[in-house]
Amino acid sequence: MELWHTHLLREKVDQSSLLVQGNRACALGALDAGVRFFAGYPITPSSEIMEAMAYELPRVGGVFVQMEDEIASICACIGASLSGRLGMTATSGPGFSLMQEAIGYAIMVEAPLVIVDVMREGPSTGRVSVPSQGDVMQARWGTHGDHPAIVLAASTVADMYRLTMAAVRFSQRFRTPVILLADEMVGHIRESFSPELVGRYRLTSGDFDFTPGYVHPELVREVHPPHVLGSETHPHVTGCTHDETGFPTKDSGESERFLHGLYDKVTNHRDELCLYDVKNEGKGRVCIVAYGSCARSARAAWRLADQEGLPVEVLHLYTLFPLPVEIIQTVARRVEFMLVPELNLGQYAREVRKLAEPWTTVISMGKVGGNLITPREILNEVTRLIGKYESV
Amino acid sequence: MSALSQSSQDQVAEGMAEPSPALVRTGVLADRDFVEVRFGGSGGQGVVLMGIILATAANYDHRCVVQTESYGPEARGGYSRSDVIISNDPIDYPKLVKIDLLVALSQDAADAYVKTLQKNGVLIYDCEKVTTIPAFAGKTIGVPFSRIAKEEIGKAQTANVLTLGAVVGITGIVSVESIQRAVLEEVPAGTQELNGRALARGLAIDQSEWQAHCK
Repeated sequence: MELWHTHLLREKVDQSSLLVQGNRACALGALDAGVRFFAGYPITPSSEIMEAMAYELPRVGGVFVQMEDEIASICACIGASLSGRLGMTATSGPGFSLMQEAIGYAIMVEAPLVIVDVMREGPSTGRVSVPSQGDVMQARWGTHGDHPAIVLAASTVADMYRLTMAAVRFSQRFRTPVILLADEMVGHIRESFSPELVGRYRLTSGDFDFTPGYVHPELVREVHPPHVLGSETHPHVTGCTHDETGFPTKDSGESERFLHGLYDKVTNHRDELCLYDVKNEGKGRVCIVAYGSCARSARAAWRLADQEGLPVEVLHLYTLFPLPVEIIQTVARRVEFMLVPELNLGQYAREVRKLAEPWTTVISMGKVGGNLITPREILNEVTRLIGKYESV
Repeated sequence: MSALSQSSQDQVAEGMAEPSPALVRTGVLADRDFVEVRFGGSGGQGVVLMGIILATAANYDHRCVVQTESYGPEARGGYSRSDVIISNDPIDYPKLVKIDLLVALSQDAADAYVKTLQKNGVLIYDCEKVTTIPAFAGKTIGVPFSRIAKEEIGKAQTANVLTLGAVVGITGIVSVESIQRAVLEEVPAGTQELNGRALARGLAIDQSEWQAHCK
């Protein structure tokens, strides 16, 4: 069976292309995926998402609320999700930190939710309009306790559209918050973007069923049916570890089953959740593993390497968590080095290293300070690695 | 649903549109498959809008395009710049590496960015604003854009669109049809006629006007 997203991940510029800003493309993706509730608090560099939703939602019968802060925003989204409408919010690092507690609550009560974090330099206020990828591990482990995480990373305007759609779908199917990471570059860039993608691959209503209490038939055994506020049943929703009735449980067997269940419903579906793209597959001695804006630099570096006859492949990850174990290990078995450029001090390189070390050497190439990693910097590192290999 | 999805739905229903004939571009940079353009000036001059209009026009030429911008926190004054990459192939790295065309609307922008210009690049500047011409060995073109806008169009604020007209006329980085369409779409409602005139005046600037007004 061909996965629905293979269509969405095609690259195309055609005559119907429009010039769209990344943040706006995110809002368009959300609207086209059926998001009808947005609560947020503006913060650079994510504000345009909120601005677009504020403008568009009332026109399609949706609800937009500007809340007093990010905590209230995400709580409003959880409320929307519990009453059968998928809630979405967008923020940047400082706001994302405030949302962490409620993200844990959403995971616990199995509320579908989409959170877009357009990353800027941190910690704290940092610098507001420079790109960074410093929130990667926060997206994975920001809230306390053992919990699953679905984290996607966008690198182009088209990604902002299609990965927002993917986030909506994943959150709805698995009934858990999905985090879409972008950075200032991806959020603010304007790029030609083909609406042909939008039309032809517009997801059908079966993919985006927002009926209160709906659970996809394939997942009934893994996803707990939601208690819908305002429905006939008597709902009880709690962040306490609970049993099937929704009421807290003191039984350790019950809570073990419940917590494993939360985890497994995500990790058992890596095939569906892990989106990636390999360039120059099987032909590289060095593989550049990249996501977000660094994936663009990695692709440009691969084109330069190609001109210079250097054997390089690129593993572009769209899904960071759950970890794309299979593809990382497959590539690790065939290359000598894996190079991980990222706009932080090696957060994801550590994850890659855990998976790939038995077979290959993982080199972290972290950079902070607000400038993108240039293709030339990556290429220099590749040259250094391959040169080093040949002198051994 | 958003307008974006609606229009594409119609298109899918009809099948893909017929390819239109290639839009003609003529000028000193028209034959380049990959061009990097930087507009530099100060806040309030409409520098960011210039980049957006150019990028929109390049998109109408069915080419790949990326536009980024950077500006200081001030509403007026402070630095402002807008970068555009236009290419026949998808663009990976979104930042400028070697600039083919620098359009400088302030002395600071000219001084700061001239170093990043390629040897075979083009420097176009407003000679009312850039009085000390920075050292650059390549093609250097000065035109008093802001003066023409004020005296002939009657509104100093149209200098950005007028400059854009001249840029397209001289370099051919986008087609005239596309820039006209993009200007009419992107300028504020009610100013289309005014900006249309400014664009036409810019497109009509010829070699006899280069530098001539300035010295």
